[in-house]
Amino acid sequence: MNKTDKKIWIYRGLALIVVIGIAAAMFVIGRGHTIYFDNKSAEVGGTTIDAPYSIEVYVKGEKAAKLKSGERGMADTMGQTFDMQLVVTKEKGGTSSRVNVSLPIPYNMDGVILNLPVLLAGKGPEDYLTEFIPTPSAEEEADEEVVTDETGDLMDFGDE
Amino acid sequence: MNKNNISDLMRRFSVPLMFVLICAVCAPVSGLSPSYLANEIVTRMGRNAFLILSLLIPIMAGMGLNFSMTLGAMAGEIGLILVCDWQIVGIPGMILAMIISVPISALLGLFCGKVLNMAKGREMITSYIISFFINGIYQLVVLYMMGPIIPIKHTSIKLPRGYGIRNTVSLLSMRQKLDNLIPLTIAGIKIPVATFIVVFFLCLVIVWFRKTKLGQDMRAVGQDMEVARDAGIDVERTRIISMVLSTVFAGIGMIIYLQNMGNIATYSSHSQIGMFCIAALLVGGASVDKASIGNVFLGIILFHTMFIVAPKAGTVITGDSMIGEYFRVFVSYAVITVALIMYETNKRRDKSKAGKQLALEQEAANE
Amino acid sequence: MSEKTQENSLKGRIQGFVKTFGLPRLIITGFLILLLIVAPFVGADLPTQISNIINRFSWNGILVLAMVPMVHSGCGLNFGLPLGIISGLLGATMSIEFGFTGSMSFFMAALLATPFALVFGSVYGWLLNKIKGGEMMIATYVGFSSVSLMCMMWLLLPYHSPNMVWGMAGKGLRTTISLEGYYTQALANILQINIGNLSIPTGAILFFAILAFAMWAFLHTKTGTAMTAVGSNPDFARSAGINVDRIRLISVVMSTWLAAIGILVYEQGFGFIQLYMAPFYMALPAVSAILIGGATVNKATITNVIVGTILFQGIVTMTPTVMNNMIHLDMSEVIRIIVSNGMILYALTRKTEGTK
Repeated sequence: MNKTDKKIWIYRGLALIVVIGIAAAMFVIGRGHTIYFDNKSAEVGGTTIDAPYSIEVYVKGEKAAKLKSGERGMADTMGQTFDMQLVVTKEKGGTSSRVNVSLPIPYNMDGVILNLPVLLAGKGPEDYLTEFIPTPSAEEEADEEVVTDETGDLMDFGDE
Repeated sequence: MNKNNISDLMRRFSVPLMFVLICAVCAPVSGLSPSYLANEIVTRMGRNAFLILSLLIPIMAGMGLNFSMTLGAMAGEIGLILVCDWQIVGIPGMILAMIISVPISALLGLFCGKVLNMAKGREMITSYIISFFINGIYQLVVLYMMGPIIPIKHTSIKLPRGYGIRNTVSLLSMRQKLDNLIPLTIAGIKIPVATFIVVFFLCLVIVWFRKTKLGQDMRAVGQDMEVARDAGIDVERTRIISMVLSTVFAGIGMIIYLQNMGNIATYSSHSQIGMFCIAALLVGGASVDKASIGNVFLGIILFHTMFIVAPKAGTVITGDSMIGEYFRVFVSYAVITVALIMYETNKRRDKSKAGKQLALEQEAANE
Repeated sequence: MSEKTQENSLKGRIQGFVKTFGLPRLIITGFLILLLIVAPFVGADLPTQISNIINRFSWNGILVLAMVPMVHSGCGLNFGLPLGIISGLLGATMSIEFGFTGSMSFFMAALLATPFALVFGSVYGWLLNKIKGGEMMIATYVGFSSVSLMCMMWLLLPYHSPNMVWGMAGKGLRTTISLEGYYTQALANILQINIGNLSIPTGAILFFAILAFAMWAFLHTKTGTAMTAVGSNPDFARSAGINVDRIRLISVVMSTWLAAIGILVYEQGFGFIQLYMAPFYMALPAVSAILIGGATVNKATITNVIVGTILFQGIVTMTPTVMNNMIHLDMSEVIRIIVSNGMILYALTRKTEGTK
């Protein structure tokens, strides 16, 4: 193996490492989660935490949900940390306070339920965070005939 | 000589001219507003340009229209299906899908290049059959191996029977993420700036590639394989590289195409993609042995205008919506047929011309 | 010592056999035999299976036979088969439109299809003479264009027979037309033999045999040998005073006409006329069948047709039942796609002497 050959192989190796690095980075920053927010009263360690009258959830400056007591909202997010801004109104007609929240999301959970009152009460993630396990809809359960007909989609040219 | 040039020009631009006429007649009849049309064409330009550009390299290498670009499309789809199951979303998801698709496309391109080297002189029909053959393999992988062998977790994309992928896979988490990355609207027309930047970048790469040593070799191989071989070019290797490049670009193009569509038709998205990309390129004035970047964009504008207006115009004229649908399918196939016939007749004429030349020279030498 | 040479020669003979027969063909034959052996053990009824294969053979045989003339004259595999099929469909629909019923409608369909096949075949042949060397790709696209053109025509042509047009609109042909009361099983019912679960459509097979024999006889006439000469060495044929273009034209017309008759025979077995996009890919099974039978891009015999059709249809009919019974997993469609297209690929990549 002569010198230029060696050089080329080193470059190739480096390029491969860079690509794998990018792929790994994509796994981390691109992981999508669905976040469900609950504004519900909950019991943690024997004490009951009451839900406030309403919570407004802002994600990236946009309003994602406005939750009255006992309601649930949702938002899609990308990456390992989730930032949101909560506008909490304790009682009807009362003044509201703003809270910025940033929290890590476990990698292996597709859907995450956050109990906002517990979160605001300053408890740990084991109390406010639970995994959302979707129940398959009847539509998803229904058997599906796979269509691989060669002539079936000759008319399909990418129209919506 | 001059006269010859004009007739040559006429021949080269006869297909685009015909399409301009079809569009000019059908567009007003269809009753579609110009702003709607412009919007649609800009969207389709972003959606298809990358895919069609991937056809240019094999043409340069003299391998004709690459009907097996569907191989790349399949690789892209496999990448997207996996990324979807891993729940990697948005632009990172697309990039990851591309990274996954590249080795698959490269392998398929390598296979395709090797097979085509065994079938010199009938590359097109062979590449056409390869696309069917690999479609069988693709179905084997996606329909039977995804689930038990390649783990697929989510029931939203896996068939209820436990293996195989559903007919459609939703790409909602990636839908038009690239198109809308840099939002821009001019005069009510939404312009997918980021997609155009990617396409522009590929154009630059192609222009640059033509000037490299490899690009020059490729053109030499395209002109005359024997001469190139005598000049010390590894013809087989060059041809394989051109197929690999084309397939890899097609895979990336397919991912861009599907992020715009917003869902994958698992078993059919790729099947017709080769056909209508080729038709669009030919409509833009390309031929089997000569195509430029300009042909790609002109082709998209003309071909897709026809595609949008024909069904509506057909409905208005005949009162049957299907007529227009069939008409545009017919036109796509007819365009390819005519282009192929023109290519073959030109080739024969050149050959006989060269033969006559040779005979004349020999005669002269004998005297 | 002598034992060793014998062994060597046996080995050589086997190698020679593999070489002439072709490895893929050997694998496919082995696969079919395996299927036939396994079938009874997994609960598939062998006589039913065999009569299925025979039936399918009788439907498809002529479509495969249509490949022969063009291969002989050096035009390559006729990927433009759909053009001939369209002539057949025109004959079939016109026969019904004019009110013929029963077996008579089959005869009339064949008769009415003939002029179309001759005209289309001539134009197609003329075109292929203009583009020698690039026949197969252009043939494919001629087929596609004609099918998509006819899609419009099926809607626009003035058909009125209530059995064929859409009930609501009163015009435009349906995608599938039942042949009940027309020529369904018209040939198969002639002299049909039924033994238990085994049934043999004698008439349809006889019809195929007649055409195959006629083809064989034709290839031994003066024009037929000229055709073979044109296929194996056009320059030599030209210098021997053969009008190459004319011979090629004849072969294309023959192929187109056989395709027209072939689709009618297929329909009488299947029981339906399929219009619109249905003929689109019909060339591919026929092409791969003849290749499985041992033909190459420029050499095909009647034996290739018969062996190939039996092997191809055998695999197509046997795999679903056997696999379903065995592992409850129907992969037959995928296997069919891979086998048939793989076979075509194999043939296209073989080095062939003479013409391309």
